[in-house]
Amino acid sequence: MPKDKFFKVIANKKHPNETLVPTHCSYCGMQCGMNLRVDTHTNKIIGVEPRYDWPVTLGKMCPKGVTAYQQTNHDDRLLRPLIRDNPAFKGTKDGFREASWEEAYDLIVRKFAELRKFHGKDSLSVFSGVSMTNEKCYLTGKFARVGLQTRYIDYNGRFCMSSAAAGFLRSFGVDRGSTLPWTDVHETDCLFIAGSNTAECHPTSMFRVWEVQNRGGYLIVVDPRETPIARRADVHLDLRPGTDLALANCMVNLLIQNGYADKAFVDAHTNGFEELAEVVKAFTPEYTSEITGVAPEKLVRAAEIYGKAPNAIVMFARGIEQQTRGSDNVSAYTNMCLVTGKIGRPKAGVATFTGQGNGQGGREHGQKADALPGYRKITNPKHVEDVCKVWGIQPEEMPEPGVSAYEMFELMQNKTIRGLYLLCSNPAVSAPNQNFVRAAFKQLDFMVCSDLYLSESAEFADVVLPTTSWSEDEGTVTNLEGRIIKINKAQEPVGESKPDWQIQVELTERMGRGEYFRHLKTAKDVAEEFRLASKGGYADYYGATWDKIERQNGVFWPCRSADDPGTPHMFLDKKFFHADGKAKLCALPYRPPAEEPCEQYPLRLTTGRVVYHYLSGNQTRRIPFLRDMCPEPYVEVHPDTAIQYGIEHDERVRLYTRRGEAVYKVKIIEAIRKDTVFVPYHFGHDQSINLLTIAALDPMSKMPEFKACAAQITKLEAAQ
Amino acid sequence: MKKHLYIEMDNCIGCRSCLAACTQCGGHDERNRNYVYDVNPLVNRQTIPLMCLHCVNPACARSCPAQAIQVTPEGAVLSALVEKCIGCQNCTIACPYGIPKFDDEQNLMYKCDLCYDRTKEDIPPMCASVCPTNTLQWVTEEELAAKKSQHQLGKWTASHGLYDPLEGDTNVKISLPGILQGKQKLF
Repeated sequence: MPKDKFFKVIANKKHPNETLVPTHCSYCGMQCGMNLRVDTHTNKIIGVEPRYDWPVTLGKMCPKGVTAYQQTNHDDRLLRPLIRDNPAFKGTKDGFREASWEEAYDLIVRKFAELRKFHGKDSLSVFSGVSMTNEKCYLTGKFARVGLQTRYIDYNGRFCMSSAAAGFLRSFGVDRGSTLPWTDVHETDCLFIAGSNTAECHPTSMFRVWEVQNRGGYLIVVDPRETPIARRADVHLDLRPGTDLALANCMVNLLIQNGYADKAFVDAHTNGFEELAEVVKAFTPEYTSEITGVAPEKLVRAAEIYGKAPNAIVMFARGIEQQTRGSDNVSAYTNMCLVTGKIGRPKAGVATFTGQGNGQGGREHGQKADALPGYRKITNPKHVEDVCKVWGIQPEEMPEPGVSAYEMFELMQNKTIRGLYLLCSNPAVSAPNQNFVRAAFKQLDFMVCSDLYLSESAEFADVVLPTTSWSEDEGTVTNLEGRIIKINKAQEPVGESKPDWQIQVELTERMGRGEYFRHLKTAKDVAEEFRLASKGGYADYYGATWDKIERQNGVFWPCRSADDPGTPHMFLDKKFFHADGKAKLCALPYRPPAEEPCEQYPLRLTTGRVVYHYLSGNQTRRIPFLRDMCPEPYVEVHPDTAIQYGIEHDERVRLYTRRGEAVYKVKIIEAIRKDTVFVPYHFGHDQSINLLTIAALDPMSKMPEFKACAAQITKLEAAQ
Repeated sequence: MKKHLYIEMDNCIGCRSCLAACTQCGGHDERNRNYVYDVNPLVNRQTIPLMCLHCVNPACARSCPAQAIQVTPEGAVLSALVEKCIGCQNCTIACPYGIPKFDDEQNLMYKCDLCYDRTKEDIPPMCASVCPTNTLQWVTEEELAAKKSQHQLGKWTASHGLYDPLEGDTNVKISLPGILQGKQKLF
């Protein structure tokens, strides 16, 4: 793997009576390399050392990464299974008692069997996540389809990456989050970054971002807030939340109008140019300015810079994806690369900042309602046949496609789904429209939750199973580049906790489905079966053996055979993955967000992350340093808006929408639009901003519109 | 080869990874000895790291009546020696940047020691190791020279003229603690 200009040979610091276990962070898609310090007397993880020789991040870590090791031996870890006999306590931390694994397993098997007997196989469901290894993600799909034999499985990628996936699949016929390795990022001439608070969400990308400017290149940032990255951008397009599609169409229009389209590339390698040109024609800077609120001259300047740049990378994240037009936004921004031919070569392309640690790999291998390993489709008979051969079942035994994450809660509410096996996710914080979601949890007849801590979601469970942290098991993860990397085990599981793959193997044995699972005795066994199951799929991992991953510092998929080194750059041959080898230019008319501001709810509410927390905060809120730095959520308000409402900095106010309300401390800052308020989403219970967010779903990706809904603020005394 | 902590203020995003990393350095008692400030928090998101600058003629060490603050041959101004520190807190008053802090329980001053247990072995300090933005860098003399020459080409006033663009000398004179020495009380 190539080393870049930042790479330095630095010896690891040696601490007496310790060993270093090289691995990666447990959190976001950057998957920063780190060494865990393990005490050789106690065999416990006691600290972290930078992993200077990891080529992507070179020892760099954000505050979450530096303190990630504190999760493993944390006092809050669940050490034994918990059972709650009295369902009246659902939705609280109360009523749990410790139990043996045997008792927990027996109860789960009995309850699931009862539900299946009286309500059918599809009364059971699995809700999963992608902050775990590919092997676990793969096995969870098999556990649902072959173990529980239910159609209802989906995962928290619907709140994270599903729009990027749907958009890329439509544009390219394949969904690899980045068309190039991260070591290209600082070598390009222009970064066009939309809807990504990169400095807080993917901090270890920042030295590469700044280097583009150090080299004389340009940084264009699209964001309603002046984030730390927008502050230093050459052009900051400060748009209204939810209006990305108009802005992207305007960029494409200006690129075409001003002669930056690469006609030869468009003719040879794309379809749909005429329709696209027709649709974007209306998006003049003036018209687009009316929709987005961005000054026309800034739009013109941004398009000119991107158009002139010899090489450029378009990057985006949840800001554009968590909208009802999220998939369209992805395809629309991708159009910029395709129209100008700035793709399919080093230093030029498109990338999404994957939110979760294994957001890429976790969406490829069959945890999605309609997906099977290797990015296969459950609706494609050939794909079903391929996977059935590996699983040892007949194609007619393969369940039908299920429904998306939020839709599963609708089915819980109406009692179609009665049993839930939840793992690696905390939807009681992360799902939109929490009042509905929490009520849906309570409708369940029986719920199992596997977690390392007692999460807000676990508070709704009948049985809580203690699972291992990332540092107590091994396997592979696919980072935001599409690079498959190896997570290593640094200590034995605490208490009686077990890795999720082992729990699933042991459960299926007791459910009478052991014949399909009992050969999986180690994480490596799961990995071998998983590689085989992905073979021949779009996301082909067959050649990505653990040996090769170690040897090469990761393997980029597709990697089809033992002698295939993998694919760091996609589309170098200008062949896209649609049947005719061409990419699709998508003509996408603009429509506003599902809920527009009105007299009653005049403000636009948008949500996002802070640098100190990860997702629902179930992990990071327990880490003292991170908790001290950001102990509670707040609402960011522009000073002019604050004057209008008569509210002051640090005052507590009531923020509400049509769906719910919460009380937040006001943080006044000029670095946000006057018509927009922002609240970080990492907090649970009464503090959860998802009490207020809207469950309007993107029709393609089923991604909820976390990034834009209509809200109102009142002073607390007025509320009382 | 002598290396330097080199700071590019422009790059700071306020992630405070340097603080988290500082707590992880052996001998730092899990307390950070560096700081990050929001410059104008009601207006924008500008932040600056406030690191010990390891002064050539450090006010903290000069103010110490017990010679508890040692300067290494490489120029690292160390934290107070446990056996020498008398807990007078002169250093916390002397430092114009507010770097030395005082631990009442231990009756001991603590400050950045440039991760001397690392840097003496040519391993970068924790803060510069993890800094995701290259605000904090651990650079060689050659790299430093390259940074300087880059600045000479700049168009900003600060980069022109007689001054070394990377030099931190000031024209302000700072008094060591003791302005009340010898003063007679009025009554």
